[in-house]
Amino acid sequence: MATMAAVTRQGGVVAWVDVADRFDPASASAAGVDLDRVLWVRGPNVSWSPSQRTVGDLAVQRGLRAFDLIARAGGIAVVAMDVADVPVRHLQSLPAATWFRLGHVLEGRDTVGLLVGAQPLGRSAGGVSLTLRARSEWAGRSLQSRRLAGLAVTPEASQRIRRVRGHRKEEAPCLFALSATL
Amino acid sequence: MFVCLVRDSLSPSRPGVLEAVARACSPRVEPHGQDVVVCDARGLTRVIGMPAVIAEEMRRMAWEREVGVRVAIAESKTAAWLLAHARPGTTIVPAGEEARRLERLPLSALRSLPELRTAGLRTADCGPAFAKATAGKLRTDDTLAIFERWGLATLGDLARLPRADVLTRTGRVGQRLHQAACGEDDAPLVPTDETPRFVERMELEWPVEGLEPLSFVLARVCDGLSASLARADRGAVTITTRLQLVTKTTHERTLTLPSPMRDSKTLRTLILLDLESHPAPAGIDVVEVECGVTPGRIVQGSLLAFTVPTPENLSTLLARLSALVGDTSVGAPVVVDTHNPRISSMKPFALSTQHAALRTAPSTGHRAPAFAKASAGKPSTTIRRFRPAPPVRVRVEKGRPVKVSLNERAAYRDSRVATVTTAAGPWRTSGHWWSSDGHTWDRDEWDVALDTGVVYRLARNRQTDHWEVEGEVD
Repeated sequence: MATMAAVTRQGGVVAWVDVADRFDPASASAAGVDLDRVLWVRGPNVSWSPSQRTVGDLAVQRGLRAFDLIARAGGIAVVAMDVADVPVRHLQSLPAATWFRLGHVLEGRDTVGLLVGAQPLGRSAGGVSLTLRARSEWAGRSLQSRRLAGLAVTPEASQRIRRVRGHRKEEAPCLFALSATL
Repeated sequence: MFVCLVRDSLSPSRPGVLEAVARACSPRVEPHGQDVVVCDARGLTRVIGMPAVIAEEMRRMAWEREVGVRVAIAESKTAAWLLAHARPGTTIVPAGEEARRLERLPLSALRSLPELRTAGLRTADCGPAFAKATAGKLRTDDTLAIFERWGLATLGDLARLPRADVLTRTGRVGQRLHQAACGEDDAPLVPTDETPRFVERMELEWPVEGLEPLSFVLARVCDGLSASLARADRGAVTITTRLQLVTKTTHERTLTLPSPMRDSKTLRTLILLDLESHPAPAGIDVVEVECGVTPGRIVQGSLLAFTVPTPENLSTLLARLSALVGDTSVGAPVVVDTHNPRISSMKPFALSTQHAALRTAPSTGHRAPAFAKASAGKPSTTIRRFRPAPPVRVRVEKGRPVKVSLNERAAYRDSRVATVTTAAGPWRTSGHWWSSDGHTWDRDEWDVALDTGVVYRLARNRQTDHWEVEGEVD
């Protein structure tokens, strides 16, 4: 969300592929996101129970397809796909080449790809995985006056590999995988 | 020499007929709505004939379109206008005889003048006698009433008065009425261009079925449309596709584009994507595509701002996403003006060309990574909201939640009983208690941190005493 706020404040366009339909416009706006520059692709309102695995798989496939379309369109500063609340069994059923393919789409483009998940995703050779560790902060001393001040997030790069092309060292493709460890 | 065509009051009104008749005879046409048209007839004597022939030709053309008209031809636009409105049939005024032909018309004929009927004049344009009494209103009726009180009955009576005296007593409105009574113009004819239609039509030798053969037809149609739009410096804002089917019915679809465009491939792709989700029910005989247009414009980009999608790419992307996940699942989020936090909405995504960031461009080329800059701020309280809010079992001691039992639907990662380490609340929210439409809510909200490290926002329904998970603080 902080990334979205920073990019939209500078005039960039952010696409948010919300596979599990978790995005909250009010809190995003309060976090400084310019909502007019957010392309929100909502996922279906499905139950992620094991009995409806096919429906969940279809929702993930659609999210991936939407991510692919947006990344190929060009001009979008950040394409984020939020699969943090998608059960692991749906992500594990994806072919191994899925994340490589997404990274390949982003190669040579000015678009940053973000995968937001509960665990590291898309471990491509050139990607970067960040683990976000959060600690809740509370304000107020008494029980009655206590309120949630927010989460202090500490990013930690758990995988950062660079490759060399000729004499120039560059990071490519620009595919981040954020895993929220709370 | 001017021709004024007025639709006969007994004839039905047909939009565009009078303008079409006038444009068929003259290149300089000034339409006034659907029922009155004035055109310049200078030079038409060499093309069509004498004024009587011109008038007869126009009446005949209008009659062929099932519209009866009154025609007046005069050296001044005002004289032609007044006579066409006042007299039926054809009236032809020789040069220099405008005032004599107008002198028998009643004063009320002046009410038909367009500048007095629609635009009106302001207080400052009126004489001092009326400025106080009727400030800000039109003065035509008042001025005519004054003329009648002076004993004037016809335009001839008014024309015989000294214009300077009329101006002194009744202001510019009276002066204009005096001019009109004399058959004089105060403004030249203002011709308008004909509104072109951007439409391409193709009749097929054999009916086509399916999108693939149709795409080739649409490619040719859109190429022609794109060229027409480029020549006229216009951009399409709507695309209407009409497909005449073998069942003798018409399948019509209208697309509204988020921004003007005229790229042939983009137009074709958008039409095809729309027809993919709304296919024609039978074979297609005739393909017709019409564009609603807007004038082209030049947009200055910025080297310092973020790159944004081009209108063509954005339209195509939105159409593809709509076809993938549905129209109602793609757009820009909107904060709804309500105190109910569960309500969210979205609107069609459209990029404005100007953004605040363009006006405050960074002074240096180097920019810190967006994430690093943003994460250095205050703690985040963003909510990942569960829709719909799943039920949860909460154990309460001394009025505060102490244990939370999440089921799998609420959060698959924490499908167990967790202990609340910190809780803040309750924050009471309610609304729509005055209505019986089922949208009433009355909840106590709690922010709770569990021993697993997750922070949830819980809500207790005060009517049913059931607990639900609003969302996860992220």
